[in-house]
This record gives sequence, C-alpha cells and structure tokens, in this order.
Amino acid sequence: MRKDVAAIILILIGGAVLRITIGGSYLNYVKEVMEPFLLASGGLLVLLGVLALLDVFRASRVSAEVVAADQQLEDELDGHVHGHDHSQGPRVAWLMLLPVLAIFLIAPPALGAFTAAREVNNTIAPPAEAKAPPLPAGDPVEVTLADYVGRAVWDDGLTLDGRIVEMTGFVTPDPAGGWWLTRMSMACCAADAIGTRIKVVDTPDLPANTWIVVTGSWVPGGGTQESDAIPLLRIESLQQIDQPRNPYE
Amino acid sequence: MSSSASQSTRYRPGSLEYLALGLLVLILGQRWLVPFFDIPALQAATTIFVAIIVQALPFLVLGVVLSGAIAAFVPASFWRKALPKNPALAVPVAGCAGAFIPGCECASVPVANGLMARGVTPAAALAFLLSAPAINPIVMVSTFVAFAGQWEIVAARFIASLAAATILGWLWLKFGKARWLQVGPRGHLVGSNSWHTFRLTATHDFLHAGGFLVVGAMAAAAINVLIPPSWMQAVADNPWLAVLAMALLAILLSICSEADAFIAASFTQFSQTAQLTFMVVGPMIDLKLISLQAGTFGRRFVYRFAPATAIVTVLASVIVGWWLLA
Repeated sequence: MRKDVAAIILILIGGAVLRITIGGSYLNYVKEVMEPFLLASGGLLVLLGVLALLDVFRASRVSAEVVAADQQLEDELDGHVHGHDHSQGPRVAWLMLLPVLAIFLIAPPALGAFTAAREVNNTIAPPAEAKAPPLPAGDPVEVTLADYVGRAVWDDGLTLDGRIVEMTGFVTPDPAGGWWLTRMSMACCAADAIGTRIKVVDTPDLPANTWIVVTGSWVPGGGTQESDAIPLLRIESLQQIDQPRNPYE
Repeated sequence: MSSSASQSTRYRPGSLEYLALGLLVLILGQRWLVPFFDIPALQAATTIFVAIIVQALPFLVLGVVLSGAIAAFVPASFWRKALPKNPALAVPVAGCAGAFIPGCECASVPVANGLMARGVTPAAALAFLLSAPAINPIVMVSTFVAFAGQWEIVAARFIASLAAATILGWLWLKFGKARWLQVGPRGHLVGSNSWHTFRLTATHDFLHAGGFLVVGAMAAAAINVLIPPSWMQAVADNPWLAVLAMALLAILLSICSEADAFIAASFTQFSQTAQLTFMVVGPMIDLKLISLQAGTFGRRFVYRFAPATAIVTVLASVIVGWWLLA
C-alpha cells in the first residue's frame, strides 16, 4: 500500500470516529463513558494521518532519482530482508475502509426490534439473598424495563403490585400476536446488548421500532422465577416519542 | 501530490485516484445505495460490526501507542534487566506483569510484537500477550460486577487465566521454533529521531492490526445475527457439551475481554464452569485475535499457537472450575 493512501485511510477512520462522537450517534454503538476515549483516539489517528501525509509531501520534494532509489530499497525490504509479510500487512489496511463506509453511508441505527425478538432469556437471576427494595414514592414512578422485569419475575411482582410505573422503550411485534414493550441494554458495546421484553395487554398494535413512553400497571400472569419469563403490563397512557439520545438502558 | 508522485519512475498508477473516485461515487450515490441496506438482519449485523470496531478502536490506539513508545523510548537493555535471565522464570514473571497493565486483547498483540522486536524472549512475550487481556484490573473488576460479587468466579478466572498463559509460554519455550514467528527486524520503522520512530511504528502497527480487527468484527457480527439464540438453550443441559459450546462461542463471538463477563453472566442456563470457560478462552483466543495474530506473527505461528491455546485454556478452566466452583 502506498504511503499516501495509508495516510488517507488513517484520516478517514479517525474522522469517522470523530464524526459519530461529536454528532452523538456513537451512543447507538457504545456507552457514553467512551466519549473522551473516542475523541482522543480519533484525533490521534487524524494527526498521525496528517503527519504521514506531510512525510509524503516532503519526500516528493526530493529529486526523482532519490525517490526511485528509496522506493527500490523499500521494495527490497518488503520482499526479502524482513521476514514480516508486508505484501499482506498494509494491504489488509484497505479493510479499514469498511467501517468508514458503514459509518458514513449506512449509519447503522441502534439495535431494535429485530434483535429484541431473538432473545431467549429476558432477565438475569439476582443473587439469592438480594430482594428488590420498594419502589420510590410517587405515581407514576419511572423505572427501567430491566428493573420492572426483575421485580416482576424474581420478586413475584410484590413491589409492583398496586403501583403506576412509567417506562420508555420501543415496540417489538410478538410473533404470537400483540406486541412487546422492549429496550436493549448493553454492558460494553452493542455486540453484547441484550433485550428486555414486557408483554403489553389489551393495546392496539403499533409499528415495529416505534419509540414510546407509557404509564401502566403490573398484572399477574406473565410467569415468575424463570429467566425466560415475560411479565405483563396494562397500559394506561401511551405517547409516541423520538428515539432517546441514548437508545440503550 | 499525485502529479509529483507521477514523476517518480516507479509510480504505480491508480490506488490513490481509485480511492478518491470510489469515495466520490459512494458519497454522490448515497441516496440510492442506502435503501439496499434496509434489511433488519443486515442492519443489526452492521450495527454490531461498527460497535465492535468503535469499542475496540481506543484500546487498539492505546496498544499501538504503547508499542510505539516501547520501540522508540525504552532502551532494549531495559527488558533484559527487568525480566529474569532464565527464560523459564521470565515466563511466569511476564504472565504476572499482565495483571498490572490495563488493556484488551487488541492492544496486547502489537505490544507483544514490540516486546519481541526489542529482544524479549518470545515465550515471555507470549505469556504477557495471553495474560494481559485476561487478568488486568479492569477485567477483574468487571467480572466482580457482572457476577454480583461472587469472588469465587473472579478468583477462578484469575487463576485459570494466569495458569493457561504460563503453561502456553512454557510450551512455546520447550517446543516453539523461532522460524514459526515472523517478528521483523523493524529497520524500516526507524525514523530520523525517537519521535519519528514512535510515529512510524504506531502508524504501521495500527494499519496492520486495524485491518485484521475488521475481519474479526465482520465474522463476529455475522455469527451474532446468524446463530439462533434458541440453539444455545438445548446445549446447556449437557455439562461437557456446555463447556465446549461456551469455548466455541467465546472463539466465535470475539467479545472484548473487558465486556465478556457480562455476556458470560447472561448465559444463566449454563453451569459456572462453562461460564468460566467462556471468560478464560475468549481473551486468549477468538476469531478477531486469530486474525490479528496471523497478520502480526504470520500464519505458521497461528496454525500452531491457536489450537494449543484453545486446548490449554479449556483444560485450565475445567480443572479450576472443578476445584473452586463445583
């Protein structure tokens, strides 16, 4: 790979990282704590690319003969002297264009209904001695989907009974009919995201991936004490919203 | 720039111009191209692909900066003094050193390569390569958090990983051949001064490792979308199959070691030993790492090292799991 092409690839990948970080869409892929690290690494890659490009400019000012000799020496190094397979090394750097293209052209959205519908497990069992504390005062009280499901499944819904909760999530159609209120949560990046599902009862269907804020109350019957149980929710109010700044929980 | 480059006698026409032209076509054609990608499975795979790259990139940059700094600023004599003369002793010392340097597996490949290029015994550099992503403080804390404070799991992970890294280092010392490893004398990466050397090494290592990270991320994204999660349930019931399945899954999914504890914990239907296997195998051997190592150390190395790593890590997990988690 030519040095100028390598430099441009560095600038492109660094620029792509800076763009999604500054534009905020990095939250579709990773957690918010990554922001400073993405800015630093993206900026450093752009800097390295610009400096490498300056090297190329400087070299091109040298007479053509010297450039040719230098090039020949470099080819010899590539081919024989260092056993390091250079023909494969930098050539593989072309692949760094793929994430750049994916970011600039496709701008893949946050994981949605497709991934949420594929999950088998719905909640992780807490340690045996951990009991969920009562919900904070006030009705409706805002909870995360994972918290709601954890309380409904592992505490048999005791702390939810008689309360009005408010949750933010998106619509995932249930293949068996009706729909789930869902939200993805990630530990580190979208590759490890897991979905949480709540079955909504008696509410007309909405299109997949519609973001909503709902208030409602827990109703028994969704199954308990099993990690694949999907608890139920009776909705009282429902409002369509834009995708939240951070689509993950 | 292209005009001045064309004066050089060995100008290879094309690549820069094709790159510019290709990007121009894609940018102008964006409106017509994007609908082709409007398939849920493809979009989910692309999201996961970009997520793995974006998540790994800062760690990769940190790794190449470290490897560049080692090449440019740390004199070769330092490593001869820091590590015991006896290679058999240097291996466990290097393995333990992994517990102090935060970083994930993407970062440790260029660092290990830099160490070898500076004259560190390959066996010790390999022990460090394997242990650093597996037992560093960030990974230990994330494991403690993911498993809700069950210290047995954290201890088992530390012991099994350090044991596997040390054993593999010793195996390399006993059976490894120098000709299997491609660690170039990096003469072409020596610049006019230390800063220039640092820059050349970091740039070179990034382009190398980055390309192979893309290969691994694509494989992981495809598998993530193609394997139905319901298959997993069926496997969990057989204890031996569960261990092997979790090992295979760790290899295929290529999740960063700083995140894998959360994934392991989410496989609640699997035994703790199977979960431990996932966390011991993943940081030492997975698709992304195989690809990165092939690019850095050569294929002859990976053909031998990858299967050995897989076997030793699984055995270490099963034995430590039976000891601490039974």
